[in-house]
Amino acid sequence: MSLDDAQIVNVNNPQQPSSPDTTLQRHVLDLGSKRSRDSERYSSISMSHREINDGDARLVHVNDALKTNERFEFAGNSIKTAKYSLFSFLPRNLFEQFHRVAYIYFLIIAILNQLPQLAVFGRGASILPLSFVLLVTAVKDAYEDWRRHRSDRIENNRMASVLVSDRFQQKKWKDIQVGEIIRFSADDTIPCDTVLLSTSDPTGVAYIQTINLDGESNLKTRYAKQETLCKTPEKDVINGFIKCEKPNRNIYGFMATMEIDGKHLSLGPSNIVLRGCVLKNTNWAVGVAVYCGRETKAMLNSSGAPSKRSRLETRMNREIILLSVFLVALCMAVSVCAGVWLKRHENELEVLQFYRKKDYSEPEVENYNYSGIGMEIFFTFLMSVIVFQIMIPISLYISMELVRVGQAYFMIRDNKMYDETSNSRFQCRALNINEDLGQIKYVFSDKTGTLTENKMEFKYASIFGVDYSGEKTNFEGEQRGYSIQVNGQVWRPKMKVEVDKELLELSKDGNNTEAGKHIYDFFLALAACNTIVPIVVDTPDPAEKLVDYQGESPDEQALVYAAAAYGFMLMERTSGHIVIDIQGERQRFNVLGMHEFDSDRKRMSVILGFPDGSVKVIVKGADNSMFNIIDKTLNLDILKATEGHLQSYSSIGLRTLVVGMRELGVPEFERWQSSYETASTAVMGRVALLRKVAINLENNLEIVGASAIEDRLQKGVPEAIESLRKADMKVWVLTGDKQETAISIGYSSRLLTSNMHQVVINSNSKMSSKTSLEDALITCRNFLVPGGSDGNTTSVALIIDGTSLVYILDTELEEQLFELASNCAVVLCCRVAPLQKAGIVALIKKRTDDMTLAIGDGANDVSMIQMADVGIGISGQEGRQAVMASDFAMGQFRFLVPLLLVHGHWNYHRMGYMILYNFYRNAVFVLVLFWYVLFTGFTLTTAITEWSSVLYSILYTSVPTIVVAILDKDSSRRSLMAYPQLYGAGQRHESYNSTLFWLTIADTLWQSIVVFYVPLFAYWKSDIDGSSLGDLWTLAVVFLVNIHLAMDVIRWTWVSHASIWGSIIATCICVVIIDVIPVLPGYWAIFDLASKGSFWVCLLGMSIAAVVPRFGVKMFIQHCKPSDIQIAREADKFGSSMELARQEIELNPSRR
Amino acid sequence: MNPVTNGALKSKKTSKKPEYSRFTQQELPAWKPILTPGWVITSFLAIAFLFIPIGLVSLFASERVVEIVYRYDQDCVPEMYRGNVSAYIRNSLTNKTCIGNITVPKKMDPPIFVYYQLDNFYQNHRRYVKSRSDKQLRSAAYESSTKECEPEARFNKSGDPVPIVPCGLIAWSLFNDTYNLIKKDKVLNINKKGIAWKSDTKVKFGSNVYPKNFQSNDLIGGGKLNESIPLSKQEDLIVWMRTAALPTFRKLYGKINTSLEAHDTITVVLENNYNTYSFGGQKKLVLSTTSWIGGKNDFLGIAYLTVGGICLFMALNFILLYVFKPRPLGDPSYLSWNRKAVN
Repeated sequence: MSLDDAQIVNVNNPQQPSSPDTTLQRHVLDLGSKRSRDSERYSSISMSHREINDGDARLVHVNDALKTNERFEFAGNSIKTAKYSLFSFLPRNLFEQFHRVAYIYFLIIAILNQLPQLAVFGRGASILPLSFVLLVTAVKDAYEDWRRHRSDRIENNRMASVLVSDRFQQKKWKDIQVGEIIRFSADDTIPCDTVLLSTSDPTGVAYIQTINLDGESNLKTRYAKQETLCKTPEKDVINGFIKCEKPNRNIYGFMATMEIDGKHLSLGPSNIVLRGCVLKNTNWAVGVAVYCGRETKAMLNSSGAPSKRSRLETRMNREIILLSVFLVALCMAVSVCAGVWLKRHENELEVLQFYRKKDYSEPEVENYNYSGIGMEIFFTFLMSVIVFQIMIPISLYISMELVRVGQAYFMIRDNKMYDETSNSRFQCRALNINEDLGQIKYVFSDKTGTLTENKMEFKYASIFGVDYSGEKTNFEGEQRGYSIQVNGQVWRPKMKVEVDKELLELSKDGNNTEAGKHIYDFFLALAACNTIVPIVVDTPDPAEKLVDYQGESPDEQALVYAAAAYGFMLMERTSGHIVIDIQGERQRFNVLGMHEFDSDRKRMSVILGFPDGSVKVIVKGADNSMFNIIDKTLNLDILKATEGHLQSYSSIGLRTLVVGMRELGVPEFERWQSSYETASTAVMGRVALLRKVAINLENNLEIVGASAIEDRLQKGVPEAIESLRKADMKVWVLTGDKQETAISIGYSSRLLTSNMHQVVINSNSKMSSKTSLEDALITCRNFLVPGGSDGNTTSVALIIDGTSLVYILDTELEEQLFELASNCAVVLCCRVAPLQKAGIVALIKKRTDDMTLAIGDGANDVSMIQMADVGIGISGQEGRQAVMASDFAMGQFRFLVPLLLVHGHWNYHRMGYMILYNFYRNAVFVLVLFWYVLFTGFTLTTAITEWSSVLYSILYTSVPTIVVAILDKDSSRRSLMAYPQLYGAGQRHESYNSTLFWLTIADTLWQSIVVFYVPLFAYWKSDIDGSSLGDLWTLAVVFLVNIHLAMDVIRWTWVSHASIWGSIIATCICVVIIDVIPVLPGYWAIFDLASKGSFWVCLLGMSIAAVVPRFGVKMFIQHCKPSDIQIAREADKFGSSMELARQEIELNPSRR
Repeated sequence: MNPVTNGALKSKKTSKKPEYSRFTQQELPAWKPILTPGWVITSFLAIAFLFIPIGLVSLFASERVVEIVYRYDQDCVPEMYRGNVSAYIRNSLTNKTCIGNITVPKKMDPPIFVYYQLDNFYQNHRRYVKSRSDKQLRSAAYESSTKECEPEARFNKSGDPVPIVPCGLIAWSLFNDTYNLIKKDKVLNINKKGIAWKSDTKVKFGSNVYPKNFQSNDLIGGGKLNESIPLSKQEDLIVWMRTAALPTFRKLYGKINTSLEAHDTITVVLENNYNTYSFGGQKKLVLSTTSWIGGKNDFLGIAYLTVGGICLFMALNFILLYVFKPRPLGDPSYLSWNRKAVN
């Protein structure tokens, strides 16, 4: 087939009506269902008005890989996730590592040290720290990359069956090229993004599971085009080409046209199967590869988690700057003193035995290493920077990363955060904000799927103005719900629904009575107006099969199950028709068209051809959108009654939907059909056109009824919320639901209590928003009179809706809202749009320093999750959008309590302590060096050997701090759960603040003075040599910092024992090793030193004297101003356990 | 209708439930010490009762050490040179011999250590400590590894630079005053053997390394070495090469193995060769006995007594604190939110 460009441009003019399947795209029901919002999110891409023009199109010749690939080199199907090759590893890995500031600091110091004028340390010693961290990181990277190489190899060598010269042959995945025809069998994984040509199903349906792609485990339907369906690739020559978008990462969008045998067809997301999906319930499928290898949507989507920086780290950086100032001050002091010393001895330098300015060995007598006082001062400054470099604890950044990995390990493996229903562990997606979990002040929660299970259950129905909300009965006795006979087998729905007896009786009457007729219409509408696919599943009993309704919206599933329970069982769905078993009688309806759900219309509709030839449009949607299009001239009283029922349903927290119906006359049907076909084959602005067609059709409906679906609260939610509130966190619920639903959920989740005063703001103009805000503020102040009657002051709950927020957010009213909200104990926002959720989070984030946390499960929560300081995704019923955007992911809302109160608290305490300890540890060492410099003529001699200086922070003292920061627990899990108020320690920054910082610095100063001056005075005027004294100082500092740490360890496990005492032993061994190297000046010093009594007396004396003040102050504070944590710890150990047990809140009832 | 298989139910895969272990659940058995008032008082008392005796013993040991310090750097300069000391000290022809007397305050038991003490001599100066070649000292094979020894690395022997052994500023500035002690007209024998560390004489300084071209440059820093004696036998050099940690230091000169009685007068005949005048340093001759704690130094004893005393005082204070302001441990009514509620 030949083609030229002119032909391609012409595709806008569809010559052939296409099958209706193009519209069978993902669509959704209203309101709470997030599906809608994620389609909304992608609509801008998939429904774009772009025309595929040649510039950004790719042209795929079906079954002609050569021709396809001749002009543009499309990527082959081999993938490479590995970053490095054998040769590129070293340069590339080094390049990447040096992107970090810490390493650059190390590098600059190492380079400075290489200048002969400044060589403080020997070559080896100066490069060691840098090469150590580089090596560790490189080994880690190399290992990870090796694993990636291995998985790449396995992936690339998988086999697929590809059409080669009219026969399907096995071919390795990596050899597949764009344009080739591939055949998949059931349970095959798809090797590349493929447009379906035909499937084993006569209607061209293929079922796929996308769990590897987006984590959703339900089956999705994809369709082959009618035009290609009949072709067998081996026999028929398929001539044609596909013109599609450039590769992009939108997994829910695809836009292409196919020209086959001269026909133009348009292709959408329902015609493509993506790499990584698995073919299910379909014997075989044949498709043509359009995107391969790295250009597949799955590969384009493999990106990392967003990076945030923790609050603690931000605060820490401020103190690091202070430390840099100290460092500069120390260096200035040394260099100025050095200058003064040189000036005073200027005339003697030449003959001074220990200076000797001149070099006499050459014939020309020159200055040796002396370039004038000015330069000497400058060099001294640089040298002192090198010597005192660890004042800035660069290794701290590396330790923090290790610690966070360790903390994440324990969070992930916590049994109490494992969700059995979804078989999911806790997930740490962001690795650098663990400690933020301990300082949360505001919790923003989504409702559906987060507080509730998002497992919908059909509850009540209002049918043609009659409310069927009587007592529910389960099937009495042995009766097991509705079932039908198919070929001698019993088919029954997989999920049972409690039924209303009266309604069940009436529904059996069929079309005979007036009520029966309405009920018939209602359930038919429920069974037909959806996108559910029934899947028949075997049971152990061969005579019985279960019908599993697979679909993307839980609401729809619930409605279809309900319809089945009342005898309207959906049995089969193909692109063109559905089969419904109505009270034992099987009926086939033609699906003539479907208008998918969109968030503008907030409804969907299906056009159904009845067996008797009539055509009806059935519409289902949110109440406010439906009442606008219902014909109000008919049955006004019924409309009123329905509205009343809806009110009462939503007031008990149910989700409501309204169903309407209308018969189409022939002329109207034809008019619709032609415009529908034009719209659905349009390449440009297809979605907008379809929406217009839908709006034209959906009007003057007759009301059929309304349904009420219950979304049950998740287990443990009320208790969790109570704990969070006790922990002084403000819980805000942001939901898209109606106000009544939101309030009732608020009550059932114990967010709202009866003694709360509710302030409701529903305004629809800026002025009224303003006045209601002002009124609310006044009431609020009245209730919160300071010093009001004892503890039980009524608190205020603010309930505000999305419309009012439109007028408040991003205007000057924000300030008032903030003031009001921060005075309220509870805030409920209903009917809010995804972006408003983010706006509310931003409202708090901008105005306070308090940490915010957002938790949600759907695509509509993504913006809020990303906006908050900490974003948590619930991996539940809805897709994986929220999880992908989150920092942490978990299975249940109630896990928030152990996560924040226990792990968050621990992480914060551990990290805060570790940072302060690292400051202290490095500063004490630097100060000891500094004091010594004052006694060497300000020349930066170090008594401590260069090797010890270097090993100090990477070996002598590094392990215990990391171990303690991973394992120490300042309070037991039991007390933290029993007293949620203990969480306040993090909110009040008790483990890391400037007071603690300055106290630490003062303590450091004292300790360094003791360590330095005790030996100095003890050995003044003695014959001790530099190396011996250096060894003493080395050991003393290491002993001291480890004793200091040991004093602060709260829980001594064998690991902490091993690391703390182990480092002391390791240090001794290292010092001994250094001192048995004969070519080092300090040869044998440690042995000579240890043979003298004064050494031991010094060591003991200074280790104790240095920590006595700290010990005294600590004990004093502990007694007189005990922290809550301290008391809880005591209570935990001595008695009072009765009380703890009594108050303990069982947050996980399922737990044994 | 499709022949539908049982594919959808396959999701019952292996459970991802974390395996229980005390480690992963952070429930390792642990010792959780809480310092109760009793423990606090006990620790302070324990420190006090440990430190005070050690302090007393140290002080006692230090008291028993007899030490004679004789400063001679100023007295040994003849009157005529007082105005121009450097002319005196740098001229090799002037008579450097100097005689002085010291009195023994208390009985001194052998071994009596003879030290020289230098003040203000920065043996820890950076330029100085680096200027040595440990390789060269150890083995004749590394004779020419003098890179670190600048500016005293090579001697320009008629235009041909040859390495100096031992090279470097430290060796170059070797202390070279000599002492002879005479008690009642009898020369006190100062044993100069065994003053250096055994490890140094055996390993660090080579027995096949002989001094070469030492002190041959124009500027002479200190003592000369006998070129026929290997470095491992030059104990004065070995002692000098163990550079002192602090700017005021002593170095062992020799040992006297006879006892000195109280009020003995000892005549010191010394050669005042070493130039400390250029930087105003002091030179002292020190005779001292030792104890287990080293030389005469009261500091450690006093420091121990002070710390012990403070801890005793702290213990008393804490006792008073616990008596007059008791707090029951783990009493929930002290929790901040409970206290708030009470107020």
